[in-house]
Amino acid sequence: MLVNREELKKQIIEELNLEELTATDIADDALLFGDDGIGLDSIDALELIVLLEKFYGVELTNPEEGKEVFESISTMANYIEKNS
Amino acid sequence: MTVYIGAEHIISPLGNSAEENFTNACEGKSGIRLVKNGNFKQDSDLYLAKFDEGVNLDAIVNECFNSLHIDKSVLTSNKTKIIFSSTKGYLSDGIEHALVDVINKFILSEQLSNTPILISSACISGVVAIAKAGELIKANFYDNVIVIGIDFLSDFVVYGFEALYALSKEVCKPFDKDRIGINLGEACSAVVLSKNEPIFNEPPLEFVSGSSSNDANHISGPSRTGEGLYRSIQKTLSSGNISKSDIGYISAHGTATKYNDTMEAIAFNRHGLENVKLNSLKGYFGHTLGAAGVVEVSMAMQQLRHQKVLQSLGYANSGDDENLNIITTTEPHQFNAFLKTASGFGGGNASIVIKKT
Amino acid sequence: MNYITTYCRITSNSISVNDCKTESNTTDLSSNLLEVYKNEALKYPKFHKMDLLAKAAFVGSELILKENTALGNYKDDEIALLFSNSESSEHSDSKFETSYKNNNPSPSQFVYTLPNILLGEIAIKNKWFGENIFLVSPTFDAGEIKQQIELMLMNSSKACFCGWVNVSDSNVDVFLFTIEQNQTEGIELTEINLITLYNK
Repeated sequence: MLVNREELKKQIIEELNLEELTATDIADDALLFGDDGIGLDSIDALELIVLLEKFYGVELTNPEEGKEVFESISTMANYIEKNS
Repeated sequence: MTVYIGAEHIISPLGNSAEENFTNACEGKSGIRLVKNGNFKQDSDLYLAKFDEGVNLDAIVNECFNSLHIDKSVLTSNKTKIIFSSTKGYLSDGIEHALVDVINKFILSEQLSNTPILISSACISGVVAIAKAGELIKANFYDNVIVIGIDFLSDFVVYGFEALYALSKEVCKPFDKDRIGINLGEACSAVVLSKNEPIFNEPPLEFVSGSSSNDANHISGPSRTGEGLYRSIQKTLSSGNISKSDIGYISAHGTATKYNDTMEAIAFNRHGLENVKLNSLKGYFGHTLGAAGVVEVSMAMQQLRHQKVLQSLGYANSGDDENLNIITTTEPHQFNAFLKTASGFGGGNASIVIKKT
Repeated sequence: MNYITTYCRITSNSISVNDCKTESNTTDLSSNLLEVYKNEALKYPKFHKMDLLAKAAFVGSELILKENTALGNYKDDEIALLFSNSESSEHSDSKFETSYKNNNPSPSQFVYTLPNILLGEIAIKNKWFGENIFLVSPTFDAGEIKQQIELMLMNSSKACFCGWVNVSDSNVDVFLFTIEQNQTEGIELTEINLITLYNK
């Protein structure tokens, strides 16, 4: 199943309460975490795990994997496509 | 003025008095047990320090209060204040008024001269409550303060910590290199502080000083430099005129999450306290949240009275964390004063020092 | 002598700072707070992640800090935080409970199921490392609060940032104020004065 990157961005903005961002503010390859990224933190990472399951039925059982999976919109989308 | 502290009492899955809890802990027993399919999806076991089914949770606070080994007239005196410490109160009865009902139910069931207060500052509540009790007496606002810590297990709390990936699927291992999270627990515990030594049935110890500081860093993760804990310890030692060489034992917070224990090791090292014998008591009681500070101070007091320190249950090896002198076997130890620390959600950090009189 | 130097009152349809009141057309606290956030150009994206309780305390504290810029002169651990309410974190408790009853326990909702988190939010924003305490009590107890303030000022704190913060769908009762020592202006800190301001 192909992931609509724009849709994914909107879901992230909604679920993580990133109200000052729009989908156009987030490039597909932009870093999501850390000071150079859009500034997500450890709790956001856990919410992304919930989002994967809620919207895509994909389970990430080990949050440590999250660092790679949630690096950017692209890596997230690729992971979903591989695992759904 | 000397502020005395004594009459410590613990009702927990490990025992029904401070002495019983201490004796059982000396024998290596723990209140933590396996609860089958205890997690949210009910497909995985959890370790929890849970009361047996028959225990009357509604009556525990009153039982604790009325069992205190002090002059009974203190309980109703107008020179006595009660401070509760709790994070979720009677949550199993429903969300509405869960916490304020700790006060409401108590004042209906006991004859008190002053309305109790309740401190709800996450996991540091108990230590903060004891520090405040000492301050109230030193300021001559009250002669006696009874501190009661209470928190119970609930689906709400278990599922919440699980959602944070903070729970361990094994028995917890505070400060160990293979630690993977906390075991939750429940308990009710009390200590009494007073300016009057005669109110205690058994000889009390002395409350020296206490403080709290915020990390100003993150609402649920500790500061990487341990700044808040560092500052709290600093304030506690300096306001109590205590030097680090006076501290013979540290009862750390030691929740067994990766980040908390690392942070504590950093803060203790920044103070040059890395050689002081130290344990976490979470391996005996689990993490009892709002009750933790009072339970663990009570146990630290028992260790001071008996001149015996408890093995830090669950610890075998340190990893990359800064060095600490973690107690690996329950053993006699001569010391005069201990430092108790706590850290919690909201960035709070607190510490107190208690010594022999 | 301890003085009340600034105060802020938030109800479901008004916000006032030192008696200067702004009313809004709606009684929806969330949108009213968002409006203030935008109008005052508070520029703090973490605001949107906060729960209603923390948002109310945060906005109130920002308005107070804008009104009383001298608060910026204290050292980073000289301002103590003392907040209280009767409802604890019930508003967020309900949301978290709903999330797990809907099979998706939310970590970010759970984090706000402790009333003292709002203290953390204020401390983080302002980089304040001082004393902080949250009390739950049946009513706004001016005598108790005054006593706790006095204890804090006897320690190393030189000022207190205080608040009574209850927010729910049916009841918005927020009263924030600052206490400073050795000032020449302000309202003397007495139980009566606190009660009078609270009831204004």
